[in-house]
Amino acid sequence: MIIKDSVAIVTGGGSGLGLGIASVLLEKQAKVVVLDIDKEKLAKLSEKFIKYQVDVTNYEAVQAAIDDVVSKYERIHILVNNAGAIYNEPLINVMNRENMKHSYENFKKFLDVNLNSVFIMSSIVAEKMVLKRTKGVIINISSISANGNAGLSVYAAAKAGVNALTKTWAKELGVLGIRTVAIAPGFINTESTNKALSKEVISHIKREVPLRNLGKVEDIAHSVLYAIENEYLNGAVIEVNGGLTI
Amino acid sequence: MNDKLKKVLQEVFDLKEIDIHLTKEDITKWDSLAQMDLVTSLEREFDIILEIEDIVAISSIKSICEVLKSKGIKIDN
Repeated sequence: MIIKDSVAIVTGGGSGLGLGIASVLLEKQAKVVVLDIDKEKLAKLSEKFIKYQVDVTNYEAVQAAIDDVVSKYERIHILVNNAGAIYNEPLINVMNRENMKHSYENFKKFLDVNLNSVFIMSSIVAEKMVLKRTKGVIINISSISANGNAGLSVYAAAKAGVNALTKTWAKELGVLGIRTVAIAPGFINTESTNKALSKEVISHIKREVPLRNLGKVEDIAHSVLYAIENEYLNGAVIEVNGGLTI
Repeated sequence: MNDKLKKVLQEVFDLKEIDIHLTKEDITKWDSLAQMDLVTSLEREFDIILEIEDIVAISSIKSICEVLKSKGIKIDN
């Protein structure tokens, strides 16, 4: 797939991994539409990006934004579902005697952010692709945590769900010329990783990774480019994790 | 009937006999996934692109023939 002049949407593109992905797409001369919930982050981005402040868990807001994108740019060729948030809480916290159980409210909230948002974005964008018979690609940012990671019940469940959606849509949409691929990063050196994990945990992870380091944003961004450009790649979950297994 | 069209219908719907009067209600295998399979098979065999209006209009063997005719494809051998 030729990225130049394609219309590419990146959710959560205001910072971190999303911004890295949006930036490499811009370098490749795509028209890059960045969706982010954070107005301040969007304001700091280059004017070369097309920006929408959107909560991707809000169906109507996403529909309105995508309708607007299509009205202005006619088609959408690429969707990168990057928006998400890590959340760390054990199912049973033996150190909190008063309230040991994982919060159900937080379980629902982070499932919404990490899984439902992918469904909302993809169903709305895929409809636009099908209506215009666009040969498009959906890239879902998954995670090594989809294999199960202690303390990350909802994040692991959501990312395992993202992997299943990737494989399902690859089969359903592939016949219509729309590919779906997931990229499953290991631990990447971003602001959100450093906020979610303590220095001790990060140190431990670095010792466990065969390459003895966290990944870089560019490592994932270039994997996304590969997945977009390779026209025979469909339904794959590409692990980019320095060889770490969990 | 055009041999290429017969081949597509037989492969997609597992039909032994092609009856022009058959509709999607008559063909057990005709569901939304088969519809998509049909679209891509027709596009590949006849080197055409079907617009969304064409895809939605296809609901019987007769309507398939009509769509192909609108694309300049000869239906009879």
